[in-house]
Amino acid sequence: MLNNRRITKIKDFFLQTITYLSSFVSLGALLIIVGFLFSKGIHLLNINLITENYLSTGFVADVFPDTPLCNCEPTIELGENVYYSPKWGIALVDSKDLLGKNVVEIEYVHANSPLRQVNDKGIGIEPIRLRTDYDMIRIAFDAYPTALSRFGAQNMIQALEANNTIREMEFQTTGGGIRGSIITTLYLIFFTLLFALPIGIGAAIYLNEFAKPSRWTRLLRTAIETLTGVPSIIYGLMGLAIFVPLTVSLTDATGGNILSGAMTLAVILLPIIIRTTEESLKVVPDDFRQASLALGANATQTTFKVVLPSAFPGILSATLLAIGRIVGESAALVFAIGTSIKDHITVTGKSTSLAVHIWAMMTDEPANIELSATIALIIVFITVILNLVIKILSTRYLKRKLGGAHE
Amino acid sequence: MNSCSVEGVFQVENLNLFYGEHQALIQVNLPIEKNKVTALIGPSGCGKSTFLRTLNRMNDLIPNCKVEGTICYRGENIYDKTTDVIDLRRKVGMVFQKPNPFPMSIFDNVAYGPRCQGVKEKNTLNQIVKQALIDAALYEEVKDRLKENALSLSGGQQQRLCIARAIAMSPEVILMDEPTSALDPIATSKIEDLIIELKKQYSIVIVTHNMQQALRISDKTAFFLLGELVEFGDTETLFTHPKHPKTEAYITGRFG
Repeated sequence: MLNNRRITKIKDFFLQTITYLSSFVSLGALLIIVGFLFSKGIHLLNINLITENYLSTGFVADVFPDTPLCNCEPTIELGENVYYSPKWGIALVDSKDLLGKNVVEIEYVHANSPLRQVNDKGIGIEPIRLRTDYDMIRIAFDAYPTALSRFGAQNMIQALEANNTIREMEFQTTGGGIRGSIITTLYLIFFTLLFALPIGIGAAIYLNEFAKPSRWTRLLRTAIETLTGVPSIIYGLMGLAIFVPLTVSLTDATGGNILSGAMTLAVILLPIIIRTTEESLKVVPDDFRQASLALGANATQTTFKVVLPSAFPGILSATLLAIGRIVGESAALVFAIGTSIKDHITVTGKSTSLAVHIWAMMTDEPANIELSATIALIIVFITVILNLVIKILSTRYLKRKLGGAHE
Repeated sequence: MNSCSVEGVFQVENLNLFYGEHQALIQVNLPIEKNKVTALIGPSGCGKSTFLRTLNRMNDLIPNCKVEGTICYRGENIYDKTTDVIDLRRKVGMVFQKPNPFPMSIFDNVAYGPRCQGVKEKNTLNQIVKQALIDAALYEEVKDRLKENALSLSGGQQQRLCIARAIAMSPEVILMDEPTSALDPIATSKIEDLIIELKKQYSIVIVTHNMQQALRISDKTAFFLLGELVEFGDTETLFTHPKHPKTEAYITGRFG
């Protein structure tokens, strides 16, 4: 008897320990992921990454003839590692661009500098203003080795000081920003939810409220459950085969675009939304339906006035799940929207989402793990913020709707 | 089919009800009179709630439920194919065992039925809601918080709200399925007073487990046992001089 009790105790202890361990392991896994992202990605995270264009514009220019040299002192205090050329009135600094690559950045241009306005040798007719956030790529002289950015800012300044003329210089705007991909991702969320929520909720209502249990509904449910398990890349192929041609023929799109991507994502999300909504419809007490019917409401009124509002929290969690999936999906989007990173986003134009942006960064040679981690951090932030916003809005909605007494 | 009686409110004739193979009501014949409280008593599972739900065809919602016989309401058999169930339920209101207000404001709860019927005009709705709440003896308690969630009310208040919700449809009959079984004695006595008050305007059919309650509030009592109507008559007579030995056994507490 006593022995039995001891065995029970040991069993209990063993089972409980397993549950503790499991929860710790899952928490630990999450912490490791977040920790990895932070340690790798946090140093590249800055506001320019989010606001800047991805593509950089390069310029080739030379100095206008007969511009006098500057021979002037800087009017502002320059930092420690900034190199200044009094002759040309320009300060350069070694820096890292948004992608984490080494560049020579223009730190300061004196007001009287001959380089303040330079002659565009490309298609432009207007003089280019040398701006302080441009990256200098190379400066070529008439009788002196060309100064390249990979030799550093100091080398460039020494070359400038040693010459009185410049044959040609090449510089570019800062690139590598992810603004375009962020906008695309937000567009994708909007359009995908626009397509998927009405269809998904409608299907769930049909299955749970109107359909009589039959072989047909069982088949439908099985089909939906099976679809949940289909790898997303297969949906991507389907998007490429169906939605891309569809949008190309209906709009001015020429290839994968936001609409075709959103449609593909909507199909991926349908099973999830249907199931989550159906679960939340199932837990609406039958009391409500009976009370409504007993008041002479018909089935449609009952569903839309009583059942659906009561299922609102569940539908909300379906939406949150959906947003997480949209933001995180990459495999399907590689096909359905494409991998070209763009800055000017139109609904029918080419662009790509943040997740595919990561994919593109990792397929670079060499793979850019730091930037990928930074973008991953941003994805996590976006997801968290969107979730919070929706939660707050819905709490307000519920409060207004229920007169502040919703528990 | 047209041999439907116009006497009383409901005239139930040879009613049989099956849940699949199981027969839940056997040859029930029962008149429901106007402006009277008719109590249905009997042990659990005797078919009294099932019977109550045949009166507004709530049993339609249960799959495999089959009804035979006639229930005459205003000279028409409500189980005719031509009967408009929605219309029937508007005329025959129902209050359930567990208070089940909708998770909306008090006002919206009462206005739900009229709104579903298409009443949109705000003043009319205000009028209907106010009158229904007054009739359900709830108005004084909630008049300042009509916009609050109905779920914030106490159980007894919620049940009176459900009664108000039914009254707002201005029905002829109110069916009550053990309306006080989930309430405390004080809330129960309030509901009982309300029922006595309501009987002036409405005909009421109430299922109750509480025989004292049946005695207190009802004019007529029907005793059900295993799906059969054992005895029906004036409440006083039934409780003081039951004709059937099983009725006597039940009301004296020897089984049930």
